[in-house]
Formats: sequence, structure tokens, C-alpha cells
Amino acid sequence: MAQLTPDYLLIQVFNGLVNGGFYALLALGLSIIFGMLRIVNFAHGTMYMLGAFVAYYGAQYVHLSFFAALLVAPLVVGAFGLLLEVTLLRRLYGLDPLYNLLLTFAMVLVIEDLMRLLAGALGSPYETPALLSGVTNLGFTEYPTYRIFVIVVCVLVCAAVYLVIERSPLGARIRAATEKPELTRAFGIDTKRLVSLTFAFGVALAALAGVLAAPDTNVTPSMGDAVIINTFAIVVIGGLGSIRGSIVAGFALGVIAAVGAVLYPPISNTLIFIVMVLVILFRPAGLFGTVERTA
Amino acid sequence: MNWSRFSLALAAALAVAVPAAVPARVAADDGPIKIAVITDMAGVYSALAGPGAVEATKMAVEDFGGKVLGRTIEVDAIDHRNKGDEAAAKAAEAYDNGAELALDMTNSATALAVAAVAKQKHKLAIVTGAASSAVTGANCNRYTYHYAYDSYALASSTGRNVARQSDGKTWYGIVPNYAFGQQMLADFTAAIAPEGASFIHADMIPLGNTDFSSYLLAAKAAKPQVLGILNAGADTVNTMKQVKQFGIDKVMKIAVGLLFLSDVDALPDVFSGSRITTSWYWNEDKAARAWADRYTKRVGNGLRPTDIQAADYSATIQWLDAVKAVGTTDADKIQQYLDGRQFNDFYAHAAEWRARDHRVTHEMYVVDVIDKSQIKEPHAWFKIVQVIPPSRAFRPESQSKCVKDW
Amino acid sequence: MIAGRHGAQVGVALLALGLVLPFLPGVYIVFAIDLVCFALVAVAFDMLLGFTGLLSFGHALFWGGAGYLATIVVARGVASFPLAVLAGVAYAFVLSALVGAVAVRRSGIYFAMITLAIGEIQYFLAFQLVDLTGGENGLTIATRGTLFGLSLENDRVYYYLVLALAALGTAFAVRVVSSPFGAVLAAMRDNENRARSIGYDTERFKLAAFVMSGTLAGLAGTLYALANRLSSLDAVDWHTSGAIVMMTILGGIGTIYGPIVGATLFQSLDFFVSKTPIGDKTNIVMGLVFAVVILLARRGIVGEILHYLAARRPRLVEDEDDPSRLIPETLVETA
Repeated sequence: MAQLTPDYLLIQVFNGLVNGGFYALLALGLSIIFGMLRIVNFAHGTMYMLGAFVAYYGAQYVHLSFFAALLVAPLVVGAFGLLLEVTLLRRLYGLDPLYNLLLTFAMVLVIEDLMRLLAGALGSPYETPALLSGVTNLGFTEYPTYRIFVIVVCVLVCAAVYLVIERSPLGARIRAATEKPELTRAFGIDTKRLVSLTFAFGVALAALAGVLAAPDTNVTPSMGDAVIINTFAIVVIGGLGSIRGSIVAGFALGVIAAVGAVLYPPISNTLIFIVMVLVILFRPAGLFGTVERTA
Repeated sequence: MNWSRFSLALAAALAVAVPAAVPARVAADDGPIKIAVITDMAGVYSALAGPGAVEATKMAVEDFGGKVLGRTIEVDAIDHRNKGDEAAAKAAEAYDNGAELALDMTNSATALAVAAVAKQKHKLAIVTGAASSAVTGANCNRYTYHYAYDSYALASSTGRNVARQSDGKTWYGIVPNYAFGQQMLADFTAAIAPEGASFIHADMIPLGNTDFSSYLLAAKAAKPQVLGILNAGADTVNTMKQVKQFGIDKVMKIAVGLLFLSDVDALPDVFSGSRITTSWYWNEDKAARAWADRYTKRVGNGLRPTDIQAADYSATIQWLDAVKAVGTTDADKIQQYLDGRQFNDFYAHAAEWRARDHRVTHEMYVVDVIDKSQIKEPHAWFKIVQVIPPSRAFRPESQSKCVKDW
Repeated sequence: MIAGRHGAQVGVALLALGLVLPFLPGVYIVFAIDLVCFALVAVAFDMLLGFTGLLSFGHALFWGGAGYLATIVVARGVASFPLAVLAGVAYAFVLSALVGAVAVRRSGIYFAMITLAIGEIQYFLAFQLVDLTGGENGLTIATRGTLFGLSLENDRVYYYLVLALAALGTAFAVRVVSSPFGAVLAAMRDNENRARSIGYDTERFKLAAFVMSGTLAGLAGTLYALANRLSSLDAVDWHTSGAIVMMTILGGIGTIYGPIVGATLFQSLDFFVSKTPIGDKTNIVMGLVFAVVILLARRGIVGEILHYLAARRPRLVEDEDDPSRLIPETLVETA
């Protein structure tokens, strides 16, 4: 085992922030969708995967740069999400939310398999952009520049989303539509459109995470499978529907898992689930959630 | 309408009528001789084996003449979808429907599952694409042979080759903490020890981990001469991507335990510069290339055959030769014929069907993965740096864990 | 509403079909055994979803976990079918009690996510406890064990044993949901608050239902593992949990017999599609079928049939002239 020096642990914290950033972005999108639509989007990991593939195919066919992909992929995948919401998910709104969970589960099967037919099951190559490759000297260590970029982007995006939802008029409308849809409609606000756009936005966040992941991880149709369960756990820990909860839980669990991995390796892949079970036992609504409405 | 009476009547009618309507099973002695290629047709191993393996087998049947013992030879493609239980059920069905040989089983869980079924049914199974050395170890049986490579062969070839060099003595291991990884670590440790090399540390990485940064940074700090990447599949891709990101390949050698031509085809930039072992390379010599050209022309997508696809062809010819020589497809008699038999073909050089544990031994090749900018023709990714003779490549008989049931 | 008023008759018909299944053309005996096992786990799952209203996305915990226990027992040299099954079922019982104790505190989405997460924990354990489970290589055994001296290696013999046990399990499930206990579960499913206000300890009932469902699922998983003489990680994978959900909904939740039909359809599709030229697109087919059912035929095959039949049956109302008589509504004259 490498020396557990303060420097090494600090490096782990950084690694944790990178992973945590991904968790936070994904959990944020999932939470926003749940808060607004009461849908648990099983296909969230699939949208993450699609974001990575838009970046890949964009690079292959239209020389889409990484930085452009950061904008284009969320837009493309968001539009796709909008299409799914309008044509399919909307039909099940009056029913038990479990039906939408199941519908999104069916989407996972179809979309991932279609992607596999298109791209093959092995990885698709995606390079770290030249501008961000190499390492930066942080004083206590040399750390890949790209990872620093990831942390910065995740923090900025999470902060921006939080500010918009909690502090802006648009955010107020979103929160109103979430908590009191009839009243909001009475004020003339088109809730249907708000709902659709919210779903698209949540999905776009997942796609953004996918683009950020592409240089660092294997881009395959099943890459979403690996993240979706962890994302569920994070969202439950933070509190389903809580913006603050998703962000805090995401970054925190990322760091805890990274540090835990070096302190006691065998536990690290189940750490998130263990924390989730503990949270359910002792703080059922999650760290920042409110007690759920009765079904 | 009295439903209960109706349904009982229906059941009785079916019970009588249906068995009468079911045709009798095709008699085994005059129907076609069937080979069941049980492989991953669409998943992560489909490029390594998959439809290409089926084509290679069909090619072998055609080259053999399409018939043996006066009966036509039929090749059935069966998709195990990387599930052990599905492989077991489909293998049992294939055998019961007249298959005399199960071939390929790329994926260790399916290989072990089909090996058990082969033993049950007293029919032969030749495993090509699986890594687990348990096929000729704890799970060995009379009816199963392991044809292409196994984790021991990979470790002993790559490990010894790298450790032989003066700058290959200290190793750092990136090891997944499951059966394959643990086995690879044990095999590599044993392989490099005679050269005076050893692992200064091995990180046993938990399953599901996609971020290898912590381990790679620790490796960098530990300053070994060699980084041994002993994982597989997506894990290897992630590790290598992050290796390049941290610039680790610039300060130490990279030895990868398990890698195939198809992986490099998919992601050439990721794997360039690593050293691996393969059981065959399409451009290793004239005979190999001639066969590869015929394969590529037949398959038509420009891809070159992997060593597993070549192994399937070779194994098919070997088995058909045995059937012809023995005069029957009876598995017991063929097993007795094959055990101890030596042979040589475009795929397996200096080969033997080892009787001790049904490990088919042959030469193995240590190769370097060439950078994209330097390949001389498409798919020419490997440069052979050493040929390992079978006596050194495979686990010595004295160390075999196989308890023979024959 | 178990298969409507003709519940017993439908059960008998299905049993009759089960008796002749191995003889039907194109049906391979091991496939038939696997099918009956899946039918049983779907019935067990329906007890929880259809009758208690709880969606578990972790039933592979019991299906796969119990299967592993049975396989491990035989692998360690205890070639006894009853002991292997007992070990598996006991594991499922204890595990469902523990998991249920945590999970039933929540409902709906949270319940689903908890079961999913705990299922993942078991998956990782199965992967890493290589000496016990074989890890990713799986665990193969040489025998199905003997049943009081009788060998079970003959596939036909084993099939009828599994069919008998599955029939017993289904009968048990039917009894439970038709009992007063089942009525409370249904009340809780429809309106938990009201049930609680009447005085029922809803968590206790939910836990009981969860344990029954989990234990029965464990029985099914044990029979499946011994059928194939192996346990592999697929059995404890969350995709298998998902498959169990799908087959139950396909058949029709809340009908007990519907899931049997659903499992048959699902397994047949899965098995046969994977053999066709479009075999590499099996997941797409399954996903599309499932999506269509969720969108357009939510009650599942059997559910939709029952609904259609019930709608056609005329409602009975009191005869105005003679209130003691009931006549079909359609015959009432409107002045």
C-alpha cells in the first residue's frame, strides 16, 4: 500500500471530487426530473451514454471539437429526451409513477441495444483534447489537467443550476409547478411546456456528464449501466427531488468512496449502498429531502 | 360451459395427441454430423470470436470436404450471450439434438458450464476463447480440451519475457479483485520469480471501479520498472486511457495480461506501446498469412482474423481428422485417439493434445502493440518479439491441479 | 381478482398444459424446466407487486442467492436435493426478513431503489467471494442431488418434480392472497393510510408479504440452479430482477396466473428470438414488447382478457316489480 501521507490523501480527495462531480451532475439531473415529473428516469445512464456517443460521432464525422461537444451533445440529447417525454412518458402521468419507471427501463433495453448495433460492443476511441492533456503542478503533486477541468466544469454547472432554481424567477416558476401545478396553471404559466423542458434539461445534464467522461473512460453502449445504480443511491442519500441534496451527496460520496478505497479497499464498491441503507434507516427522507408525500 | 370439465378434457386430449404427433428423434447414425459453435454472437466478445468464429468453422468444414464417414457436416451457431446458465441449457439442447462437438465457448463462465454439460452427455467440447486455467485444472474432465490460451500461458510468456530484461525486475500490479485477476496475479508472480523479478506491490481493485487514478498515482510514486495491467475488457481500456493521461507509459514499461487483436482494432491509440502475449498472429508467417487472406476474403469486411477464430478453424480440422481416423464420432474413442497426439498446422506450432490435463500446448508469441503511425498495412498491429516454446508457455504437468476422471 | 371467477379452472388448465409441455414439438426439456422456475418466481413476485403494491427491483437477491446456496451445498459434497433446496429456501427466508425490515419502511420508488441497491451488494459479494461462489467463473456441480435415493439426473423426472413443487407454490400463493390476510394486503395496496387508520400495522403486513414472496422466489431460484447444475452471476444481476418485473407485468399483475403466462411468453420470446437471424436484437424486441404493454395494455395479457370479459358481463340490478329478483341491467325497460 502506498504511503498514506497527507499528500496522497489529498490526491485522493481530488480524485474523489472528479468522480463526485460526475455523480453530482447525474444525480442533479435525476433529481430535477423527479422533482418536477415524479418520474424516476431509469434511462438516465443511457442518456449519459448518448452524450458520450454524440461527442464521439461528432468528432468522427463533422470534426466536432470536445469543447463544442460540451454544448452540442446536451442539446442533441436534450432534444431527444424532449421527444421521448412528449410522445411516450406524457401518456402515463396520471398513473402510479412506477409505470414511468418501468417505461424508462424498457427504453434502456431498446436504446442500448440499438447503440450496440450501431457502434459495436467494444469501445469507441475518444481522445483527451490536446489543450487539456498533460499534467499540471498543483504543488503537492502533478495532476492531469483534464481532471482539473472536469472538477471545475462540474462545480460551475452545479452552482449555476442551483442558483437558477433557487434564486431566479424561472426557478421560482419551476418550483411552483412542482409543488402546486394547478395553481401555477391558473396563473397562466404553461406547465406542460415547463415539464417537458425540465425533462429535457435533466437529460441534458446527464449528456454533459457523458461528454466529460468520454476521454477518460471506455465509450461503450453499456457505459450507462455502470452509473445508473450508483446515481440512484446518491439521489436517495441526498433526498429525491432535492437539488442541494444531489449536489452535496454527489461530491461528498465521491470523496468518501475515493478515500475509503485506499483506506479499506474491499468495501469501496459497496460503500455507496451501505451509506444509502444507513441513511434510509436513520434519515429516511435523505440528507436534504423532505418527508415524501404519501403515494 | 363447465370449465373444469372442459379443461380436463383438453388436457387429456393433448396428452394423448401430442406425443403421437411429435416426430421421433433423428437417428444418430445416418444424419448429419453436427458441430455446435457456442459463442458470443453480439456482445463484448463478438469481435474476438462471434460470427467470425462461426465462419472460420464453416471454412474448416468446407476445406475438409464437407463430409466425413459418408455423412455431411453441419455447423450450428449458438449464442450464449455471455450467460453461464444459457450456455449450459443451449449446449445440452445441442448435444441432445445430435451435436457431437461443442466449440469456442469464449467467456470463462460459459466454458466451464459447457465443460460440465459435455461431461454429463459424454460428448466432446473444445474450448478456445476462454482464459480460465480451471478448464484444465480443478474443472478438468475427460471430454473437454482447452485449445488456444489460458491465464497461465499469458502470464508465463509476457511475464518471463519482460522480467528477463535488466529493466524489468520490479513490477507494480493493477489487479481486479475477482477470480481472473487473482489467478493472473498468482501466475505472473510465479512466472517472473525465476528471473529475479517480483511485484513490489499489487493493488487488488474492487469490481465496478472505473477510475484507476488513485492506483496509477500510487504506481507512479512507487517507481517500479514495469506496470502489470492484469485486468480485462473495459477495465483494461479505462486503465490504459488513464495511464496515457497521467503519462505513466513514459516512465515505465507496460505489460498487459489479456489483450486481443480485436481490442487493438477498436482502440489502437489506447493500447500502443504495450507488450502482450497471443496464441497466433495473422501475419506471423507465410502460412498464417495465406489462411488469413482467405478468411478476410470470405468474411468480406476487411478485418483480419483473431487468434481465437484461427483456433476454431484449426480445432475443427483436428477433430474431423480424428473422426475420420477413428471411424466414429464416439467421444470416448476420439478422446483416446487425441490424448498425447502431436501435430503442427498454421495455427498451432509444435502442438500436442496433452493427456495429463487436456491442455493443448503449442507455441505462444510475445508481441508489442505498434503505434498507429507505424503500421505497415491495416490491422498489422503486432510485432513479434519472442516465440515461447510450448514447454515453457504452459503450466508444467507436474503443477497441474487436474484430477483425472479418465 | 385471481383470474376472475374461474380461478380454479384456469389453474387446472395451466397445470394440464404443464403436464404435456415437454411433449410439445420444439420444446426442449431443459427449457421447459427453466420456464416453470421462472413462472414460479413471477407468481412470487406478483404476491408482492400485484397484491401488496410493492415494486421490488431486487428479487434476484432471493432467486439468485438461494440458487447459490443450493449449488454451494452440493458443491461441498452434500448430494441431497432436499437439503440443497432447504438451504436455498432458508437463505431466502432469512435474507428477505432482513432486507424487508429495512425496505418496507418506505414505499413506491424508494422501496424499489432500496431493493435494487441491496441486490447490488449481494452481486458484488458473489463476485468477490471467489472461493465460495467461483466468482465470475460461476459454480458448476456434478449432480442435482438425490431425492430419498431417487436420482434426479433424468431431465423428464426432474421436470415433473419441479412442476409439482411449482404447482404447490402457486397454490400457496393463491391461498395467501385469497385469505383475509390477502384482503388486508389489497386494502393496503389501494390506500395505505386508510388501512393504517383502521388499525392495521401496515409495516408488519408488508414485511410478511415480502418474506413470503422472497422465500417462494428462493424456492424457484433453487430449482433453477439445480436444473442447470450451476449458479452464475447472472442470477444475482439486477438485469434478472428487471426480467422478473417484466414477465410479471407482461402477464398481468394482480392475477397470480397472469405472471405464469407472462413468464412463458417472455422466456419463449427470449429463447426463440435469440436463435433467429435477428437474435442479436433480442433486447430490442423485449424492450419494445414491454414498452407497448406499459403504454397500451397495462393490465398485462391476462389482466386485459379478464377486464374485457368482465366488461361484457351484464351488471345485475334489482327488478323494480319484484325487488327480491336480480335481472340484467340491459333488460330493464325504460319508460
